[in-house]
Amino acid sequence: MLRQILSTTWKDLKILFTDIGGMATLFLMPIMFIIVMSTALQGLFDSGTDTQPRRLPVVNLDRGGYAAEVIAALDGIAGIEVETTWNDETLTRERAEALVADGERSVAVVFPADFSAQIEARSNGDDATATVELITDPAASVQFIAPIQGMVFGAAERVAETQVAQARVAESLANAFAQLPPEMQPAPGQIAIEMEGTSVVALKQVAPAEMNIEVFPDTYQQNVPGYTVFGVFFIVGTMASSILQEKREGTFRRLLVAPLPKPVLLAGKILPYYLVNLIQVAIMFGVAHLLFGMAFGDPVALAAVSLALAAATTGLGIMVAALGKTDTQVGGITSLLTLTMSAVGGCLMPTSIMPGFLQTLSRFTPHAWAMQGFQDVLVRGYSLAGILPEAGALLGFAAAFFLIGVWRFRFD
Amino acid sequence: MGNNIIEAQNLIKRYGTIEAVKGISFAIRRGEIFGFLGPNGAGKTTTISMLSCLLEPTAGTAIVAGYDVVKASSEVKRRIGLVPQELALYPTLSARDNLNYFGRIYGLRERELRGRVDEVLEMVGLAERAKSAVKTYSGGMKRRLNIAAGLLHHPEVLFLDEPTVGVDPQSRNAIFEHVERLRGEGMTVLYTTHYMEEAERLCDRVAIIDEGRIVALDTPRKLIGDLGEGIIHLGIANGMADEILGRIRALPEVKNVARFDGKIRVEAARAQETLIRLLELFNSTDTDVTALEVLEPNLETVFLHLTGKRLRE
Repeated sequence: MLRQILSTTWKDLKILFTDIGGMATLFLMPIMFIIVMSTALQGLFDSGTDTQPRRLPVVNLDRGGYAAEVIAALDGIAGIEVETTWNDETLTRERAEALVADGERSVAVVFPADFSAQIEARSNGDDATATVELITDPAASVQFIAPIQGMVFGAAERVAETQVAQARVAESLANAFAQLPPEMQPAPGQIAIEMEGTSVVALKQVAPAEMNIEVFPDTYQQNVPGYTVFGVFFIVGTMASSILQEKREGTFRRLLVAPLPKPVLLAGKILPYYLVNLIQVAIMFGVAHLLFGMAFGDPVALAAVSLALAAATTGLGIMVAALGKTDTQVGGITSLLTLTMSAVGGCLMPTSIMPGFLQTLSRFTPHAWAMQGFQDVLVRGYSLAGILPEAGALLGFAAAFFLIGVWRFRFD
Repeated sequence: MGNNIIEAQNLIKRYGTIEAVKGISFAIRRGEIFGFLGPNGAGKTTTISMLSCLLEPTAGTAIVAGYDVVKASSEVKRRIGLVPQELALYPTLSARDNLNYFGRIYGLRERELRGRVDEVLEMVGLAERAKSAVKTYSGGMKRRLNIAAGLLHHPEVLFLDEPTVGVDPQSRNAIFEHVERLRGEGMTVLYTTHYMEEAERLCDRVAIIDEGRIVALDTPRKLIGDLGEGIIHLGIANGMADEILGRIRALPEVKNVARFDGKIRVEAARAQETLIRLLELFNSTDTDVTALEVLEPNLETVFLHLTGKRLRE
């Protein structure tokens, strides 16, 4: 019995290793995945450390001096690098909004002109609150934003409370001690002052002005575009296998004998998968709408990104069908490309936490552009004009994949 | 071109350093069933692929239905039908769905398509199972549907590439009947096979092809007639073969004697009479005969005679 098992094992190993290309991709895929995921996630674990600080643009419009104290406190926190200038110019609110809108930074802090005045007012007993604005990319993950919110709030509250407490203590002590004989007056430090009431500082999360955001999306809504893009690319393998099957079973041969131009034949193979891709997107967004209450945004813009994404996906399908000569090769190439590009493109984790070179590399994946396009529509509230660059980039990828596919495609 | 519907001149196909077809020339007359007989790997499918515009010849020319296969491939494709060796069908679709699809690919209009699909389904005896998924068909039924798909657009020339591989005798006979019916309708058929019975039964003329070359081309009757009545293979005890060879050659009716695969091959005009004389000779000379085989005269023996190999080696 063992002999039979070993014989079967030996036979299958021989068959597997005959397909060198297929085996190479099988081994290459996990290695690539480990490298990409580890490098990409490095940002999540190392970000906020001295070696890789989180860069935080800060706009100081405060006419008083408290904001400067908060900024100094923030700058003193290990793992935070405060940016008050950009290209050697003092950072303005407009520049900070542009940095967030362009994806250069996920969040920026603005201390308004009356920040100190509000703290002073509170010190004087008024019911005032000093507001700090956080200009936030609605697509930025909560895991990334929350610690920054905590640090800004903590630093601002400390400065404000110190000031308010000092004022109240001074006032209270002045009133109380004035009525006591000098020998009964307590030594400094013997009195604990309990602060009561609401916080002096409030954080206000706002989106860049150009974004049409009424309500900030929750984590579910933020994740839908990424998982949608991740999912639709799986059609690449199905499509390439179908073409391979037609070649193997001879139906392709029969079709090639028909008076049918080859591009027409390929178009016929692409169109059904293109339609299936669009249905996939519609179902995924439909489910997200029903389960998580995700808004669709501008339908025209959403349709434009979806159509362009489906073109890129099916283009990649033709390319993989042209490059893979066996089922193993097609499976390997599909997994290698889709998983790697999904990870680098930001479907599995935000590109903002990735190292700089990986963020640059992500621009060379259709996934990143599709993600950005969907986030622009669904999360950032952009209309058609706002997503034209993403749609254009996706169509560019589609054209490149299709051209490589047709160039390398063997019809016989 | 005259009455010829296919003319091939010095066709060559190379894959790198391997020459699959080594300069073959032939002509096929309109309305005839022309057979390519040869073992697997002889170059039959490669030749058909060149004639049906699937492969571009490395050298040489081929004219099919009046058009050059390289310069006017679209015109050629409109006029030919191919029944590939593989079952080129979609197994999860029904027979009707398969035929509808292939008909539309050939540009048949809906009304014409409906009529034509009914016609070919009837012709191959699958009308009653037209709605069943092809994967539920027997091997023979699939083969018949495979042929039907090649006939939808009324081709002038039909290429049948090993159409009976893997089918039971009953289905094979049904396929023969379909092919004969097509001949009756005036269709030209190029039929490749490595079964000599099929070539003998169906083909008006046969090209025997081996290692990329046509080694003989004529009617089956003429090819067999040229060979004589048969071939006798003899195994003689070691050491005696040389001595006896000359005496066999001197026998009447013996046309040729040659060594073959450790045996002696005797080609004779009348195999039965020659066999009796050989036995008398061996008796009188006290020769030990270790093997004796009489091969009937047919295309198999013609192939053996021409190439020194059996068709199914």
